[in-house]
Order: sequence, then C-alpha cells, then structure tokens
Amino acid sequence: MKDVVVIGGGPSGLAAASSIAEKGYKVVILERDDELGGLLQQCIHDGFGTILFDESLSGPEFADRFIEKVMRSDVPIELETYVKSVDKKDDHFELLTVTPEGVHKIKSRSIVYAIGCREKNRFEIKIGGTRPAGVYTAGTVQRLVNLYGVLPGKNPVIVGGGDVGLIVARHLYLEGVDSLFMVYPEDFFSGLPRNAQQCILDFDIPYRNRTTVKRILGDKKVEGVELVEVDEEWEMIPGTEEIYECDSLILSVGLIPYSEKIEDLGAEIDEETKGPVVNEYYGTTVDGVFSVGNLVQIFDYVDDAVKTAYIVAEGVDKFLKGIDVKRKKPIKLVPGDKIDTVTPQRIFYEEGEEVTVFFRPGVEKENAVVCLVNLGNVIKTYRKRYLRPSTLEEIKVPKDLFNGKKEVTIRVR
Amino acid sequence: MRIPQKVKKITDESKYNISFVVEEDIVFLKGKVETYEDWVDIGLKIGGIKGVNGVVNDIVWDERKDKASEDRKKRSKRSKKENLGEYDIVIIGGGIIGCSIARELSKYELDVALAEKEPDVSLGQTRANNGMVHPGIAPSKDTLKRRLNVRGNAMYGELSQELDVPFKRVGSLILITPRTMEKYRKYLPGPLYRFFLKHVLPWFVKRRGEMNGLEGIEILKGEEVFQEESGIVDDVISAVKIPSTGIVDPYEWTIAMYENAKKNDVDFYLNTEVLAFDKERGLIKRVFTDRGVLKCGHVINAAGLYSDVIAEMAGTKEFTIHPRKGVELLFNKRLEDRVHHCLAELKIPSHPTSKGGGINPTVHGNIIWGPTAEEVESKSETSVDKEEIHEIMQKYSTILPQFPESEFIRYFAGVRAASFTEDFIIRPAKKVKNLLHVAAIQSPGLASAPAIAEYSVELLKDMGVDLRRDESFDGERKSMDRVSEMSEDELKRRIEEDPSWGNIVCTCEMVSEAEIVEAIERDAESFDAIKRRTRAGMGECQESYCLLRIAEVISRELDMPLNQVKKEWKESQFFDGIVRGEEP
Ligand SMILES: Cc1cc2nc3c(=O)[nH]c(=O)nc-3n(C[C@H](O)[C@H](O)[C@H](O)COP(=O)(O)OP(=O)(O)OC[C@H]3O[C@@H](n4cnc5c(N)ncnc54)[C@H](O)[C@@H]3O)c2cc1C
Ligand SMILES: Cc1cc2nc3c(=O)[nH]c(=O)nc-3n(C[C@H](O)[C@H](O)[C@H](O)COP(=O)(O)OP(=O)(O)OC[C@H]3O[C@@H](n4cnc5c(N)ncnc54)[C@H](O)[C@@H]3O)c2cc1C
Repeated sequence: MKDVVVIGGGPSGLAAASSIAEKGYKVVILERDDELGGLLQQCIHDGFGTILFDESLSGPEFADRFIEKVMRSDVPIELETYVKSVDKKDDHFELLTVTPEGVHKIKSRSIVYAIGCREKNRFEIKIGGTRPAGVYTAGTVQRLVNLYGVLPGKNPVIVGGGDVGLIVARHLYLEGVDSLFMVYPEDFFSGLPRNAQQCILDFDIPYRNRTTVKRILGDKKVEGVELVEVDEEWEMIPGTEEIYECDSLILSVGLIPYSEKIEDLGAEIDEETKGPVVNEYYGTTVDGVFSVGNLVQIFDYVDDAVKTAYIVAEGVDKFLKGIDVKRKKPIKLVPGDKIDTVTPQRIFYEEGEEVTVFFRPGVEKENAVVCLVNLGNVIKTYRKRYLRPSTLEEIKVPKDLFNGKKEVTIRVR
Repeated sequence: MRIPQKVKKITDESKYNISFVVEEDIVFLKGKVETYEDWVDIGLKIGGIKGVNGVVNDIVWDERKDKASEDRKKRSKRSKKENLGEYDIVIIGGGIIGCSIARELSKYELDVALAEKEPDVSLGQTRANNGMVHPGIAPSKDTLKRRLNVRGNAMYGELSQELDVPFKRVGSLILITPRTMEKYRKYLPGPLYRFFLKHVLPWFVKRRGEMNGLEGIEILKGEEVFQEESGIVDDVISAVKIPSTGIVDPYEWTIAMYENAKKNDVDFYLNTEVLAFDKERGLIKRVFTDRGVLKCGHVINAAGLYSDVIAEMAGTKEFTIHPRKGVELLFNKRLEDRVHHCLAELKIPSHPTSKGGGINPTVHGNIIWGPTAEEVESKSETSVDKEEIHEIMQKYSTILPQFPESEFIRYFAGVRAASFTEDFIIRPAKKVKNLLHVAAIQSPGLASAPAIAEYSVELLKDMGVDLRRDESFDGERKSMDRVSEMSEDELKRRIEEDPSWGNIVCTCEMVSEAEIVEAIERDAESFDAIKRRTRAGMGECQESYCLLRIAEVISRELDMPLNQVKKEWKESQFFDGIVRGEEP
C-alpha cells in the first residue's frame, strides 16, 4: 500500500512528490509520457523560474531542477503509464494502470492529481468552415518543431496573442517559415509585454489586433482563413470579413484543465476555473483526492503552479495523519464583482496562519483596491498597482479572518 | 390528370419560362431561373407529382456556368488505358450501399470489382450521418424507402453478429409536446388541444407505424415518458415508443462490409474514379477509370451524390441529385447517461425539407444532435459555421432543457444525395440494359442498406445475372481488438506477447500503439483512416495529444518521412517543410 500516488510528472507533480516524500511517506509518480517534465519539455525558450529561482531558465532546465530532486529521492517513477481506472474503497484507492510492461494494480491511501491542462482546439472556440489538414494547436507545433525538426507549414497564421502564441511565432520565424501572420481578439497582445516585444515586434512579424478567424478554407488542406474584426466583447463585426491565404493555422487560444478524470471520481468542478473545487490545502471535494498545478486552474507562471505543490504536501500530511480539525462546514470563497476566478474555493481547516489565494481579475484597472467582503461588510482590503485579466494575482489572507463566517467574496472596488 | 398535364400546370404557374418533356414517366426540365432556391423548388414540385419516376432538372440558374461539359472533357483526359481485369460485375461507389452490395454479391460465384474514387471506403455521405437505424415509420406507404427501411432494420441484428460490429436496438421516442401542433392550435380551443395531443395523436402515429409494418409500438403518457427518459422537457404530453429503432457506427459497419467482401474475393479499387464508359449496342462493355480499364458484364451505380453524373456518363440521364447538407453536433462521452433513446419532437406540419433530426445516442457513448437540412449547390459543401451550431443548439435544447449543450466536442456535416422524387432510385437504367441504378440513397439509406443490397441482387437476377451460390463464402468477420474493451487478464496476456498493447497513444479514447499498427495492416494509410478504425483522436481533446504520436507510428510502419504523413488524401499532407539547417 502506498501513501500517495501522484498522477502526472509535470513540474507540479514532481514538486508535490518530492515534498511529500520528504515528510517520510511512500510516494509513486505515474506519467503517461515517456519522459518527465510535462509541457515544459516543449518550451525551449527562456522565461521560467523568475519567481522561484530568480533566474530565467528554459522549460527543460526548469523541469530538470525538479526531476533531479525526485531522482535523488527514492520516489519510484512509472513512465508510459496510463491510469485506466481509479476505484474508491473504504480507506484507500485502487488504481489500475496499463504500461508496456503490463497491467498493474496500485493501492494507495491518497491521490494527488497533477495532470495539468490541455490546449483548446478549434471546435471549442467554434471556428467555422471546413475541416482540412493543417490546423494545429500551439503545443503540437512546438513538439513538431523541437522533437522532429518539421514545420507545420510554410505560411502559417497564428490565432491568439498570449505568451504561448507569441513564443510559437518567434520559434517558427527563426526556424524558417516563409511568412507568418498573427491575429488576436484583444486590443494589445495578452502575453507579457516583454514577450510581445521580443517575439513579434523585434522581428517585424505582421499581426492584427481585434481580429479572429471566422472560417477555415480549403477542402483537403488549409488554403486560407476568413479573418474578421471583433469588438470589445469579441463579437464578430459583420462586413469586416477578409480572406487571407495561408497553408496552416495554429491555435493558441487558451488552456483548460484536464478535469474529466477527477470529475468521474465525483469531485465537484468549478464552472469558472473548469478545474476541481479545492480547499486551502488543495484537497478536492472527495476525501483523500488532491489536485495541484494547472489542473486546478491555468497559472500564468509555472512558478505559481509549483507553489500549489508545496502547499498540497501539507494537506496530504494532515490527511494521512488523520488530523481532524476541520470545520464542520467549509467556508466558501467566491468571486464577486470584476473577479473571474478564485482559488482555493473552500477554507477547510481552522489552524494555520494564512491562506494563499489566487484570483483572476475580470477587468483592467490601475491602482485597484481588492476587497474581501462578508455579509456586505468589507473585512479586508489589498492594493494592487495594476490589474488585468491576463495576469493571475495572489494575496495572502490571515486565517482568523474566516472565523465565524460562511462565505467570503472577493471583489474589485 | 395525367403526368404531362400536371407538370404543365406547375410550369404554367411558375414565373419562369420552363419547358419540359415526359418520357417513361421521367420529366426532363429546361429553362432558366434566377436563383438556386427556385431551381430546387420547381424540381421538388414536379418530383412530388404522383407517378413521376425521376426528374432531370436541366434548368439553369443565373450564376451557374455550364461546368458539366467542361468537367466531362477534363475527365476523359485523365483516364488510363491499362487493363485492370475482367469482371462479371463492377460496382461504382464504396459507401455503405456499394460495400453492402459487394458483400452480398460475394456470396455467389461471380467476379466482382468495386471502384471508389476516394482513398478509403465510407468517405461520402456514409461518413457523416446520425448512425440511426430508423424503424421505418416516417416514409409513406407506397415508397421503396418504406419497404426497404423496415426490412433493412430487421436484418441489422443478425448481420451485426456476423460482422462483429456493435449495433444497439435502443428504441426511439417520438415526443408530443404543446409545440407539436402549434399551427393548428386555433382549431382546437381550450382543453381540446391537450386532449388531442394526449389521446388522439399518439394513436394516429402508432397506427401509421403499424400500417408500415412495425410491431411493439407503445404509447406513453405523462410520467411514463420520464420513466423512459428522465431529462425530457417537463411539458411533454405523450410519446410514442418504437422498440425497433437502432444505432450503429456507419463507417465501422461499412468498413466491416468491405473487409468481409474483400475476404470473399471482391476486388476493391480505391483511389479509382470512374470517368467514362465504353458501350456496344447499348450495353456497357468497359469502365474507364483514372487507374485503368475494368471490363464488365454488369455495372452498379452506387455513386451516392454523383449517381446522376454516372447515369449521364452512361447516356441514361433519368434523375438529378440536389445536394442537401446536414450539420451534426457531437457531445462528450461523459454525457452518455443523459440520453438512452433516439429522441425527436413531433412537429405537424413537418418542415418541408428539414423533417427528421433529433437527439441520438451513439454506440460509442457520444450523444449526437442534428442534422439540419439545407439545400446547397455544391456536393462537397461540408463546412460548418457558428450560426449552424447555434441553430442546432437552439432547436434541440427544447427537448432536453437540462442538457449542457455547450459541451460538444466536434461538429461536422454531410451532404444527402436527394432526388427530386425524394425516394430511392433502385432500378435497371432506362437506356442501358446492363446498368443498375442504386441511386439517390438519402436517409434512411443506412437503415435500409442491408435490404437494399438484397433487393439489388434480386434485380440483377432479373437482369440476367447468373446467381450460383459460392460454397466457400465465409460471412464471419472479426473486429479489431480494443484495449479499452479488454479484460484485465486478456490485456496482461497481450502485453506480454507485445508491449505495444500497453503503449496508450490516445489517452482520451484509450487506444494503444498495437491498435494503430493493426489498423495500418487493415489497409489504413492515413490518420483519418486510422481514426475511423480505432477511434484514436475522436475524444475530447480532438487529436491534440495523439496526432504526432500516431503520425510517428504511421511514418515508421509505412516507411515514409513524417512530413509525408497525410490526414486523408494525398493532397492533405499534414506538415510542410523542414526546420532551417536540417537535412531534407
Ligand atoms: C508552450 C508554453 C510556453 C510557456 N511559456 C512560459 C514562459 O515563458 N514563462 C512562464 O512563466 N510560463 C510559461 N508558460 C505558462 C503560460 O504562460 C501560461 O500557462 C499562459 O499564460 C497561458 O497561455 P496563453 O497565454 O497562451 O493563454 P491565455 O493567456 O489564456 O491566452 C489565450 C489567448 O488566446 C486568444 N484567444 C482566446 N480565445 C480566442 C478566440 N475565441 N478567438 C481568438 N483568439 C482567442 C487570446 O489572444 C488570448 O490571449 C508556457 C506554457 C506553455 C504551454
Ligand atoms: C447529415 C446526414 C444524416 C443522415 N442520417 C441518417 C441516419 O441517421 N440514418 C440513415 O439511415 N441514413 C442517414 N443518412 C443517409 C445515409 O447517410 C445515406 O443514405 C447513405 O450513407 C448512402 O450511402 P451511399 O453508399 O449511397 O452513398 P455514399 O456514402 O455517398 O457513397 C457513394 C460513394 O461513391 C463514390 N463515387 C462517386 N462518384 C464516383 C466515381 N465517379 N468513381 C468512383 N467512385 C465514386 C463516392 O466517393 C462515395 O464514396 C444521413 C445522411 C446525412 C447527409
């Protein structure tokens, strides 16, 4: 019997595994791919680790720090492992895994899901038109270029001006596509300003803001796209359609948590984050099942995703020790005015000093005041110099603030 | 009135100058109209005349150029001279109809060939439909559709055993709600309307089914409806339950027919387009294709949307196909428990062309909503726009208000091969005695397919084909093994023999590398052909995870560079170009 199975060998899974192992528990990591590191293995550009290590590392370099740590510990790592099913028994879980070595049953007292997220595809953002060859997500393109040395096409269009889109654009530009065009629906690139500068502006890669792809053209292979202008609400403006010839379309239109499996186990899912509802120690609504990293919500910085892994180690420890100082009813933390998402969504335990709360603003605002509100009363405020939807914010909330409350709302004033 | 008078009445009423000829109950139309809609409209009106056996609509509409003759010239240039072989029967078209006929004919001592222009079978209408094996309640009494649908449905059970393809008789519910006869509400004042919908209309529907030859139809009222299907809209008044309705995966079924026919010595020529015929004394002697020449005794026209083109090519123009597009929305498997039957809301009067459609379960657990019905000019118009997605969401969410309609994972469209008479056209060609049309097979073509194959063979017999049973015929076919369906012990055993059974390349659908390799061994050469055989790439992430992993297996197994791996056709290679500085 294991104490903890960590599913997913990306940065947050690795960090969770080693921190839990340090506390003396029997841990195993299961990873579906044939290497550890998750998404980071595809991101060979710099920019990772600025918060955690105060250095700018490439994706694989960043991942390596965590991989090495796990390697040095005695945590077994099972690669190419597909978790076929998870059964909840009275006091443990039974996992059935499939690998090229065989079929195995693993028993464990708890599970940490760290399976991350996946990229949104063309169907999820309802791009119209035909369904030919030549439409890829940014992650596929990164893998294609890095691992196989093959380009997706000679003149791609990229949709999405977030960090991923920007970085893929520069990558393709440097790797030798003939031409490249980027469109995105915001007023300005939603990625970090430095990424916009270094990836697009410095190379004079053509782009258009407030624009999206309405339809894909071409029966067998992408022959072009129909671009359309959009308004502030991202609604298409009729009459502004324009055909642009290209041979491939690359989508970098956001990520969503891989929450299917955990929902199947019975965990409650947050409509806004699309990830599981978690408490301050990243426990889900199913006892003994935890969730960290991008599965909880999409973090802008991998550094923040890793933070959740350190916190979960405490939660798993409490759970395994059977420390039961839980509140009878968890306190709800909910997004209010001008806030899109909040995690954790529940405050479970009474002890502890403070809770790290992440929230994503719904507006762009300078010198904003973020308020915690209970029954209409402001119970605490935080000042933020600059809020914008593309940047996830963090605040520390003293634990005793929650005493005697049922629900606390976070809103922007 | 006889047919010509009736046609004249319609053309006289039209605002256009339309001339016509009637020959052997086939109406030939000529003239000019302004819009495509008018072209369809007039064709449908003439096709609706009782006794008309076909409408050849040569009316031109403003924007249409005379592309047909242009194409014809180009076509004959592409034909190749080499001799491919001599056959008793050549089937044109590898959809569910062509493949079902091929398998049926393989039971006899005949040399049979099938020519399909696409690189795989089932790439026409057969690929994009609802997968519903209709019971046969909808078609009217005197149609071929009715007879073949009811019979075809009954044949599915046994065939699915032989072919090892899942088929489920889930039953259907025809729902009667306050919206069912909204138009006539004014004639049924007060409580009369509800009374009629609860106690009279279901009985009519049941009666119609029984007259069409269906058995076991039940009428459900109030609570009984929710017991069958709990998510249905609260205000449903009654429902008619038809137990024989089934569901099947249409391409899996067609691929099974193909594999079994092939095993019984039918020669399949894929990537082979029929371009012209060589006739002697009114009989087709040779079929010209872009790959070579097939000598033939008899020819079967099962070319779906292009069956009118084939008829014309053979010099026996008897009908025109007007393509009708249908869009489908496919939902996440996780919603499987929300729908157990094929569901449709009865609407009277039914929309003239968009009749049918509804919410169906599929054999793999995805729920499917659709289709729409839109007359389109091009036979290959399968694009889907946002408005169409919203149209479906709106139309069907009235039946299942709680269903999370935004959780679809994909949308697609198919084009129906509709004739103006709106019935199947299955008969020897009027002017070519050794050509059998099995044409204009629109819905319920899938449901009728086994019976259509059987009936086609009867007709061939009447046309003089000598049918002797082939004693060596083996109708059994084994489906591919699927890791997702294996027991733990079975899977253990497999992995011991070959570790690639334990390498899961598509995690949404749980498909192993071994299955990809087997699909390739079963003739799949492209990503989509593998997808149809294994379901890899069909899940929630829509290929994002498995695309490159599978492309890598294809590249290895077929010994081709990664950037030559194709999605479906030779023109649809995925990737293009090599990273700067690397060797090509
Ligand atoms: C490949 C990769 C590289 C990364 N690089 C770094 C890094 O350098 N440093 C780091 O700390 N972290 C990095 N991360 C983590 C990453 O920054 C966050 O996960 C991230 O901010 C989310 O990606 P994004 O910016 O593209 O998506 P989002 O911020 O969600 O942006 C998506 C963009 O898609 C567009 N879009 C969305 N919907 C539509 C629509 N309907 N039509 C048209 N366009 C639409 C918009 O432009 C929007 O801005 C990386 C992650 C990956 C997978
Ligand atoms: C949206 C939609 C939903 C539907 N839903 C249902 C349903 O739920 N139940 C049901 O029973 N039916 C349904 N149908 C109807 C059903 O799909 C068709 O009736 C059936 O697939 C017809 O099969 P087919 O073999 O005649 O045609 P096809 O599948 O179109 O096959 C014809 C084949 O001929 C080939 N061909 C054409 N020209 C040439 C040439 N010159 N040389 C060589 N090959 C050629 C084509 O490439 C094609 O593969 C639906 C149809 C649509 C479009």
